[in-house]
Amino acid sequence: MSEFNQLKNNVLFETANGFSYQCDLTNSIVINFVGTTSSYKVRDFLIFQRKVNSVLILEMLYDLSDQSDAQLIETTKRNFSRNLTICEIVQLRELLNGTKFTLNLYSMLHSVLSVEAV
Amino acid sequence: MKDLLRTNSSLQEGIETILNLQSKIESDASNKYLAMASWLDRNGFANTADYMYKQAEEERGHFLKIFKYITEAGGIAITPTVAEVQQEFASFKSVFEIALDNEIAVTNAINKVIAKCRLENDYATEEFMMWYVVEQREEEKHARRALELFELIDEDSATGKFELDVQIAKIGAVE
Repeated sequence: MSEFNQLKNNVLFETANGFSYQCDLTNSIVINFVGTTSSYKVRDFLIFQRKVNSVLILEMLYDLSDQSDAQLIETTKRNFSRNLTICEIVQLRELLNGTKFTLNLYSMLHSVLSVEAV
Repeated sequence: MKDLLRTNSSLQEGIETILNLQSKIESDASNKYLAMASWLDRNGFANTADYMYKQAEEERGHFLKIFKYITEAGGIAITPTVAEVQQEFASFKSVFEIALDNEIAVTNAINKVIAKCRLENDYATEEFMMWYVVEQREEEKHARRALELFELIDEDSATGKFELDVQIAKIGAVE
């Protein structure tokens, strides 16, 4: 039960399609998106987030060919490898950007509180 | 809950971005010198071509120094894409005019990195970048000296171009 509470406390971001949490034991970030769970070290997470943000959604929308309806999103070390539709890419973007926002917020709080403590 | 961002990296995102940009500028500068060396070589200026080859290597060293720093500080160093560079030049002198313009642009970019470091209170990166400030002072001095030699030696005299080729190649070596 305590482990469950710990997990709940470490949730970073949650959307209708997934959630993310921080594992303090392994110093990693776990992403659960449409049923796929993958775990990342911070640098790998940031690379993943930047990669998803760099997908040219507008170009995919304007391109009428079938192959631009979806795009293969792969992460470093192949933690995550899925063909995602435009809609799913936008949803994943929301989840990853929200996670990054919370990580930044925690970092900011840590630095402010540690200054206060000194 | 641990602060994973800070425990993983001492670089803030904005600093990491501007350092990656600076590493690309240094990498591009190396390619620009390489193109100049090639032009000088094929136009018979063998000594200044060697000088430019050395400059190209030096700039690559500057690029790698930043690239490694980003990784050492816990950031993500991005390999710069190779940009198109000018391959043809109007004259012998114009090569050095462009070289000076490039050095001034690099100096301005370094100043921006330091201004950003001060804004973000990143004194470690500022201290690291100070090496580049000193280096740029030297680079600009050498680029200006090359143009000064064009004032001292008449390019259009009988052996003017030959003499300029010899003298410019000595810049930096005789100090």
